[in-house]
Amino acid sequence: MLQNLTYLAETAHAEASSDLFSSLGINWQMLLFQGIAFIVLVVLLGKFVFPTLMKAVDERQAKIEEAGKAAAKAEKKAEEAEAKIEDVLKKARTEAADIVTTAKNEATQMIEKAESQAKTRSDRIVAEAHEEVQKDVLAARKTLEKDTISLVKKAAGLAVASVADDKLDAAVIKKSVEGAQR
Amino acid sequence: MITTVASTEIPVHLASQKLFSIGDFGVTNSLLTGAISLLLLLAVFGYVVSMVKHGRYNRFVGLVQWAFEGMLSQIDSVIPDKKLARKVAPLALTIFFYMLFSYWMSVLPGLESITINGASALRSIAADLNFTFAVAIIVMVMVQFYAFRAHGAIGNAKRYLRNPFKDFVGAFEGILELIGEFSRYAALSLRMFGNCFAGEILLLIIAVLTSYLSVALLPAFMAFELFIGFIQAYVFFILTVIFTGLAVESHGSHDDHSPAAHPKKATQHE
Repeated sequence: MLQNLTYLAETAHAEASSDLFSSLGINWQMLLFQGIAFIVLVVLLGKFVFPTLMKAVDERQAKIEEAGKAAAKAEKKAEEAEAKIEDVLKKARTEAADIVTTAKNEATQMIEKAESQAKTRSDRIVAEAHEEVQKDVLAARKTLEKDTISLVKKAAGLAVASVADDKLDAAVIKKSVEGAQR
Repeated sequence: MITTVASTEIPVHLASQKLFSIGDFGVTNSLLTGAISLLLLLAVFGYVVSMVKHGRYNRFVGLVQWAFEGMLSQIDSVIPDKKLARKVAPLALTIFFYMLFSYWMSVLPGLESITINGASALRSIAADLNFTFAVAIIVMVMVQFYAFRAHGAIGNAKRYLRNPFKDFVGAFEGILELIGEFSRYAALSLRMFGNCFAGEILLLIIAVLTSYLSVALLPAFMAFELFIGFIQAYVFFILTVIFTGLAVESHGSHDDHSPAAHPKKATQHE
């Protein structure tokens, strides 16, 4: 191995001392040819290949940017809509709360009114009934009084038909009536 | 140059070998492999472009497009001027894809076993200094062209030549810049050549040393070479873009870089 390395170094040294460029394999004609060929390749690719790929890349980037912008816009819109919904909901909740409160108040008022009306009416009915009853009682009393008086009159007339006079009759009747009243 | 390893002869040639001649023009093995890479590249791109034009996509088209888009975005990120970036793109992208295809050709099995007139028929064109030097020279010329367009003839010359009586350090810096201008392109071409050449030799040595075991071992090294090929193609590509970006970058006056000379700029940076 050492021999090989020594050989390699010696050969390299000999070649370097004779002609550096030819030992490295540099041939100016070949260099020029390869350079021109490469330039032709650059021109070919630059004219027919890269523009298409660059266009595709640009379009894709434009689409990505557009999509990004649209996404941002949509997000903004969604946020706005959400805020709007939140506002509307808030408003609706407030309104609903107001309506419920008003309804409750109205219901309470109506109930109270109805209760008071019912009470007034019932009181009136009771009063009327009382009045009617009083009237009936009075009428019944009067009738009873009349009936009693006539009965007593009849009975007393029958019992003391012969001895009693009108004065006695009246006294007896009065006593009877008072007794009846008690 | 031919050397032997462990009594087995391994042909190691720094220069590409002539296979046959067309008229006076000698066709070398690297040229043949380069032509095959070229056809392969054109076929791949032809297929991808026709598919893209017709709006048809599959995984392969997606993969090529993904690689293309990735490289394009790299150019855009290095060169802020989008117009210039799009002008530099064809050269840089061709370098990347062609270097990649060429480098990967060196991993082809049987690269050294198929021979024409005693010379191995296939040798990656990236392992031929003629090609890597040619591409480096093209890059250098293009970088100078863009710098010339950006700064003008005097502005571009001022990057290298400055008055030593006014700015001694700047003048020295300019000379270093001029030397660097050549050395960086030499390094660019030698790096690609060295990696590809060494990769081919490595695969050969592994095959010889491991004998029958090479069936199991070589795939791992081939995969490694594919990876190195990608890295080297990317390095060549990105350095091309960076050199262009640096050359066209506006520094304003070379005489004074202090914030006091550019109060507006300084305020902006603050």
